[in-house]
Amino acid sequence: MNKTVRLWVLGVGCAGVALLFVGAFRRLPEFGGSHHPYGARAVAAALHRHTANVVSSVNFDQRSFDTLGEQAILFGAVLGTVVVLRQARDERRVPPEPAVVAPTVRRYALVSLPLTLLVGLYVVAHGQLSPGGGFQGGLVVATALHLLYVAVDYRALERLRPVPVFALADAFGDVAYLLLGLAGLFAGASFLANVLPLGTFNTLASGGLVPLLNAAIGIEVASAAVVLLAQFLDQALELVPREGEHR
Amino acid sequence: MTAERILPLLVAVPLLGAALLVGAGRWLPRYTADVFGLFVSGGTGALAVAQLVGVRGATGPVEWVAGWRPEGGSGVGIVLVGDGAGLGLAALISALVTAALVYSRRFFDEPPPGQAGAFPALLLLFQAGMCGFVLTGDLFNAFVFFELMGVIAYALTGYRVEEARAVQGALTFGFVNSLGGYATLLGIGLLYARTGELGFAQIGAALDAAAGGGDALVTTGFALVATGLLVKAAAVPFHFWLPDAHSVAPTPVCMLLSGVMVELGVYGIARLYWATFAGPGGVPAADAHRVLLVQGVLTAVLGAVMCWQQRHLKRLLAFSTIAHTGLFLTALSALTPEAATGVGVYLVAHAGVKAALFGCVGVLLDRFGSVDERELHGRGRELRFVGVLFAVGGLALAGLPPFGTALGKALCEEAAGPGATVLFVAVSAVTGAAVLRTAAGVFLGAGEPPAGPPHFPRAAARGPRTEHRSAATGGRGAGESGTSDEHDTAPGPEQEGEPETTGSGEEPETAGPVTRAPDSMLVATTALLAGGLAVGCVPALWPHLAHAADGLSDHSAYIAAVFGSPETPPASTAPNWKVSGVLLDLLATLLALVLARTAPRITAGTRRAAWARPLRRLHSGHVGDYVACTVAGMALLGLLLR
Repeated sequence: MNKTVRLWVLGVGCAGVALLFVGAFRRLPEFGGSHHPYGARAVAAALHRHTANVVSSVNFDQRSFDTLGEQAILFGAVLGTVVVLRQARDERRVPPEPAVVAPTVRRYALVSLPLTLLVGLYVVAHGQLSPGGGFQGGLVVATALHLLYVAVDYRALERLRPVPVFALADAFGDVAYLLLGLAGLFAGASFLANVLPLGTFNTLASGGLVPLLNAAIGIEVASAAVVLLAQFLDQALELVPREGEHR
Repeated sequence: MTAERILPLLVAVPLLGAALLVGAGRWLPRYTADVFGLFVSGGTGALAVAQLVGVRGATGPVEWVAGWRPEGGSGVGIVLVGDGAGLGLAALISALVTAALVYSRRFFDEPPPGQAGAFPALLLLFQAGMCGFVLTGDLFNAFVFFELMGVIAYALTGYRVEEARAVQGALTFGFVNSLGGYATLLGIGLLYARTGELGFAQIGAALDAAAGGGDALVTTGFALVATGLLVKAAAVPFHFWLPDAHSVAPTPVCMLLSGVMVELGVYGIARLYWATFAGPGGVPAADAHRVLLVQGVLTAVLGAVMCWQQRHLKRLLAFSTIAHTGLFLTALSALTPEAATGVGVYLVAHAGVKAALFGCVGVLLDRFGSVDERELHGRGRELRFVGVLFAVGGLALAGLPPFGTALGKALCEEAAGPGATVLFVAVSAVTGAAVLRTAAGVFLGAGEPPAGPPHFPRAAARGPRTEHRSAATGGRGAGESGTSDEHDTAPGPEQEGEPETTGSGEEPETAGPVTRAPDSMLVATTALLAGGLAVGCVPALWPHLAHAADGLSDHSAYIAAVFGSPETPPASTAPNWKVSGVLLDLLATLLALVLARTAPRITAGTRRAAWARPLRRLHSGHVGDYVACTVAGMALLGLLLR
């Protein structure tokens, strides 16, 4: 197809899809209504299980099997990236140069690093109580570590985050989620069943299995983000084509 | 532990295996990693088979994960349905993954450093995603596993990153499939907004309960969710990613993509329609019939036409997969339990046969560093056994009794009517003939020697592998690299200046030159072909397939089973061979042989018929073209549903 034809095909297709959507949207429930069938059920179920953060209750209890699939996607995406961005036959590794960082940037990053780390850990730990949880907090923790790259340089980051350790932690988070699920089976209930004591509503140890699954996800997401970024940073900063190669 | 409780393990066990392989990959020798992977995938398969044997009648065990059984008719949880179709497909998936793992024992000289388990781990994740997709009774959960399949498949397709073409093929695959995924998610959003439910059965029950039947929202929801599934199923015009991905993916990955992942799209459509939309509040049967028939016929014809014109063997097989998916959709359009049985038989047998054909091509690739029909001409004489396997696979594809493909084809013809029968005979004859023609040329040296100067770049001298990359990427941008029908090679004189994907100069996948085909490859390939034969020869399998189809195609029985009051629908009789079907199968086989016999005499130049040129030009390898066609296809779906 040349450009004109392609744009015409795309244009006609988009117009058709837009018509479909207009037709469908006219039949949607009115905006701002009070009829929320799933929401009502999910909130009731979350309260029943002593989980203050309903979203976490959906993620780690009511639909924890979805989360199993989602964490597998993340795990698989990281593994796929490791495989695809591996050091190819025609690449060699060069140590990164020390970098000069403006003092203000360095000061700011060094102050915000421990703060960010703390916030991340807080968000993971309080997933069952307040907005946030393993997915969000894990990413904040991974971001905190990478402030070291901003504050000092890539060599400092490499020293602080040994990729093999984080790759292992990534797998550990995945295994932990699965083993917590299997624990339900061994307790005589279903896979991923919330069989632990539910605790007192709105305290750190409430929700039964929720905080544990949440922590497993926190470990996995933080390590996965570190490993993932390490692959891209390596590719950008350390791996260069061998002499005489064109890329 | 009861049967229901076991269901989630079919997903959890391969996931656990993959995580352990990655975690321990640094310390594992490759052999241990491979054996462990085999053990896990085979064990999962055994679990699925054990469950399947326990399924009585049309419906099987139903498990609410984490114990969220609905109270008073509405719940918040995810349900897994281990009916015949779901468990049967899980068993098929596990068998194919196991075969692919055996096959790849001698593959990939260079696992990523410290990651000996990476490839088996990816295959196990792929298995988990596919098993989850077929077992779940929840639309959103199916989307999650659909995405898991996708992510792993992109990585597996791009496994050989040293070649720009592999990256390009994986990227195209990723673009088109992600677009389909977004469409599915939007559709789920619409259906959720209407019903407040996410399960197949729950949405279906809510739609049926609403007065007035299906409206614009319901049909749009169906069209959008179906878009993602049709992209997976490679139905025209959503199919463009498939040949590009297949021509670059490692052979064991092709086995899984063509053998079962693409067919899961067909399964998804069947499950979606019958479980959710077949009731009074869903999509009228006439509309669903029209959509499936138009998509199926278009796909079958295009697949067959393009298949015949390929010389790149993996591309040839890829287009034959498209043709057969078209046949599955055409048969499915009858929307009867008999049609579902026919498609089931055909699909399972096709999985074995197609994977075996890819297995044979993989051996050629390793022996000669080429998958170009013309370049390989006559050079396969030394691989007599592989030649026999390949030719038998071609015959099975054409529909030679007693292969399962022949039984499935006959059942589909019977269910879909006389008009469709012509299509079935023609398409299976053409795709079978394309394989047979290649078999005769490559393994017997039949017909004319290749036109143009012969060049044997890879087999003559397998130099240091670093050279290949510069050869593959040098001076050519990724955008125009050759995974398409219109780029890649310098045009030959007989091509009137039209370039073509030849399949020569491919990167071999094994460590060194293979002096003889490794046993692991031959064992896996033979077993797969035997599986395709067994579907047609082992009558004990047929009642199971009929039960699976009964359960799949019964709207109210599915909903009743999910809500805990299983009813036993009237069981249809087990399929069997019929004289008329056998005669039509033999006719298709004969046609294929005649076509293949005449083919080598026609020079390859004229085989690329001028009239099909616009069709070839459409497969340009340009992601923009593919995206435009996908969006246009969504509009077409909407139009057909009006």
